[in-house]
Amino acid sequence: MPLPQGTLQRTAPDHPNPVPVAARTRATMMLSTLLLAAAPAVSAPAGDLLAIRARHLATGTGETLEHAVVLVEDGRIVTVGEDLPIERGIPVLDLEEEVWVLPGLVDAYSRYGLSGSGFSDLRPYIQAADEVRLDDSSWARGMRQYGVTTAAFYPAGRGIPGQSVVVATGPTPEGSRVLRRSAYLKALVGNDSTSKRYLRDGFKEADEWLDKEAKNREKYDKAKEKAEKEKDSDKKKAELAKLGSYKPLPPNMKGQAFLDLRAGKIELLASINKAADYLHFLDALGDEDVSWHLRTSLSTESDLFHVKEEIGEAGAMVIIEPEITLHPSTMRQRNLPAELHRAGAKLVLIPRADNSTGMKEWFRDVGVMVSAGLDRDAAIQAMTHHPAALLGVSDRVGTIEVGKDANLVMLTGDPFEAGTEVLAVMAGGSVVFGEDEL
Amino acid sequence: MIKLKLKTLAPLALLLAAVPAAALQPLPLLDDEATESEEEDEHWVLLKGGDVYTGTGALLRKADVLCRDGKIAEIGYDLYAPEEAEVMEISGYRVYPGLVALESRGLFGGSGSLKDSVDPFNESMTYAVASGITTAVNGSEIGKLNRGRLEDVLVKRGTFVGLSYSISNPSGRGSLREKLEAAAAYLRTYREWQVQVRSNKDLKEPKKSGVDSNVLAVLEGKARALFSSDEQQDLVGIARLAQEYGFRPVIKGCREGWIVADELGRAGAFAIIEARDRRSKNEALVRPGGSSIENAAILHQHGVQVAVLPSSTGISLGGIVGRDIMHMPTEAAFAVRGGLPEDAAIASMTTIPARLLGLGHRLGTIEEGKDADLIVTDGDLLHYRTFVQWALVGGRVVYDKEAELYFAHIRPRPDGELAPESPVDPGEDDIVEPPAEEPEEEPAEEPSEGSGDAPTEDSTEPPPAEGGSGEGAEEGPAEDTAD
Repeated sequence: MPLPQGTLQRTAPDHPNPVPVAARTRATMMLSTLLLAAAPAVSAPAGDLLAIRARHLATGTGETLEHAVVLVEDGRIVTVGEDLPIERGIPVLDLEEEVWVLPGLVDAYSRYGLSGSGFSDLRPYIQAADEVRLDDSSWARGMRQYGVTTAAFYPAGRGIPGQSVVVATGPTPEGSRVLRRSAYLKALVGNDSTSKRYLRDGFKEADEWLDKEAKNREKYDKAKEKAEKEKDSDKKKAELAKLGSYKPLPPNMKGQAFLDLRAGKIELLASINKAADYLHFLDALGDEDVSWHLRTSLSTESDLFHVKEEIGEAGAMVIIEPEITLHPSTMRQRNLPAELHRAGAKLVLIPRADNSTGMKEWFRDVGVMVSAGLDRDAAIQAMTHHPAALLGVSDRVGTIEVGKDANLVMLTGDPFEAGTEVLAVMAGGSVVFGEDEL
Repeated sequence: MIKLKLKTLAPLALLLAAVPAAALQPLPLLDDEATESEEEDEHWVLLKGGDVYTGTGALLRKADVLCRDGKIAEIGYDLYAPEEAEVMEISGYRVYPGLVALESRGLFGGSGSLKDSVDPFNESMTYAVASGITTAVNGSEIGKLNRGRLEDVLVKRGTFVGLSYSISNPSGRGSLREKLEAAAAYLRTYREWQVQVRSNKDLKEPKKSGVDSNVLAVLEGKARALFSSDEQQDLVGIARLAQEYGFRPVIKGCREGWIVADELGRAGAFAIIEARDRRSKNEALVRPGGSSIENAAILHQHGVQVAVLPSSTGISLGGIVGRDIMHMPTEAAFAVRGGLPEDAAIASMTTIPARLLGLGHRLGTIEEGKDADLIVTDGDLLHYRTFVQWALVGGRVVYDKEAELYFAHIRPRPDGELAPESPVDPGEDDIVEPPAEEPEEEPAEEPSEGSGDAPTEDSTEPPPAEGGSGEGAEEGPAEDTAD
């Protein structure tokens, strides 16, 4: 990641003499805290600046910065770098030596705070977006206190239950909390003909609609051609007016989602349980060229390691819990997330349990995987950048990079060490949790 | 008539056209580019130096089996294999055809059609290939245990027609006979029509109404009639019925078959037996009855095609363990105890089930052109100590004992990762002592035997003393005393 070198400059240089970071005093920090508390939650006024200094900062791109400085303007990150001097007058949040800063966490697979059950057949048109409350309700507070600043909610049900939604748990620079209304289309696929049929049927519905549409278009074109050949100009006019411009057929409810899939507007998330399901998913998918990811729930005796090389080669993203499993029929422990990562798959780790305990223990649980051999940077990415990429919102969240929303988690220590807790959380440039701690 | 002739000639002409084409095929070998691109897609496996039990009566010691794209391409000695071939050095091991299980439960995982429900990683399948099974009947389908793949699993659908014939169910027997009669009558009229229609094209094909399609399929030879019978009276009844209507019955159970083996043999019956079945005779009857350890042997002697099946057809790791589908060889070995020849015991798990399923042209023996479904064992398949070391389905290794956790630790292969560094721990004392003893003995022998022999003994003896610890030293004196 290219880092801007040299002096931090405001857009309007009110203070021409930048003060080196080392020259800063405790007093400025007090000032900055006061400013923060006073800052309005949403849509800060233009030119609203804040610098954050941290001893340790993981950017989410696989890189860890020492003595990092992040400059936030209007809820977005405008500069990130190491040992940068900060211009006088910019409020600075000077974090304690042991504090770690990470990008706001992204939970790619949740139904936190949602209730109800779904259908268990082909309902690709159902939108989880319709279920989620977008005001500052308890689920949002519940999630962000554990550092989750972005969450994707999936529709309940089996078969193909619908499309997920990506929302922010706090304020965003753009105002709307919905980052993406339609993200992945969820599909449960396994070694049974029914689940495979749903997937095939979906594409069939899309094909049927395309056929109908093509015929309709052909009919219109013929009628228009005929009308244009009309010699009597008045009659020609009248007929053309009657035909009007071409109106496509209304979309087919079931087929539309699959057309969107093919067009790359949404992605497919295949929910599988075992290695065989992966093969059956590919079999059901056939030659369809769509972007897909995997979700697998780690049961004690998951046998997914049988296909890890294939999944890795496909470069698939896998949503998976940080869970140590047992090799089937043995007491031999396996670190499947680490194995998948080594095979080349992109890990998307989610809390072990989809509740506040799971989120509270998220860092600790991932820490267990790290101590059992999972690459540390991969683990951080699996909670931030990768889920953001899977959800198609990596241009806004998931990393601490210039241009991204200022979503930051500040931890009391090393993220994967026991006892580390969330100190404070910033969403869209506003501190949404832990103001008192800063 | 001319037209007819032309029609019959057409396939002949095609055949004739095909023969030169086939004969020409090797010629393009000269064209390097063409063959290279072809060979890239081909998958070659060479099993080198194993003792090949072909199942056709031939045993080829230290022979090679070359598989190409899932089929056995060549069997023989010093076979040439292309460079990209996967070579398995298996000298000291035996190669058998993969076993065919005539019934199974849960080997394929899932439920429903094999194509959409197979779980090619499920444990039962691993255990099954570990016990040598490469093909199994699953409900109404026959599938290959193509572990790790969804492709090439289904072999065939719908082989058996279940029929029942029991002395205790007179009406059932009656209706079966009626169905057979109706089907036979239909076939007679159909054949008549086939002849007559040549001269009179307006003749309509006889209707099948009232004819049981299943029973008809049996008489037409499209399906096998499967009976589950144990009682000698039933067996005789089935044999007579089969002879009368001209079909070969498959009889599962066949406990008292040994009493009426001649009848079953004349009917060309197949028997699927459980060699370890035990049931005492009905003491109310004077005639012989009940199970016999010799059942398989006697049936075989009388020309009955004997296949074995353990009493549980699933994988059982508790309860009925030892009599489940993993123990087909044990079941066959028990038949050997009762007098069945060993080659017939092997056939009872390979050739005969394959033939019974109508797959004799693809499975059951190691012959050129057949499916490369092979198992490599570390000993006699019928011996309880023997393990399947590798199993191949369609020319692909689907099981390697060393690679799976289940049996890898038991008698690991000497060249395997799990093998102990030295197969036998000689102990520190043994290593030190033998070299010290030998020099003492040799000078004593040398003068008495003469100077000419001494150098040769010197050159031959030391190696065993170094490598084989105590063995060489023990053998020497033993020979001396015998002399």
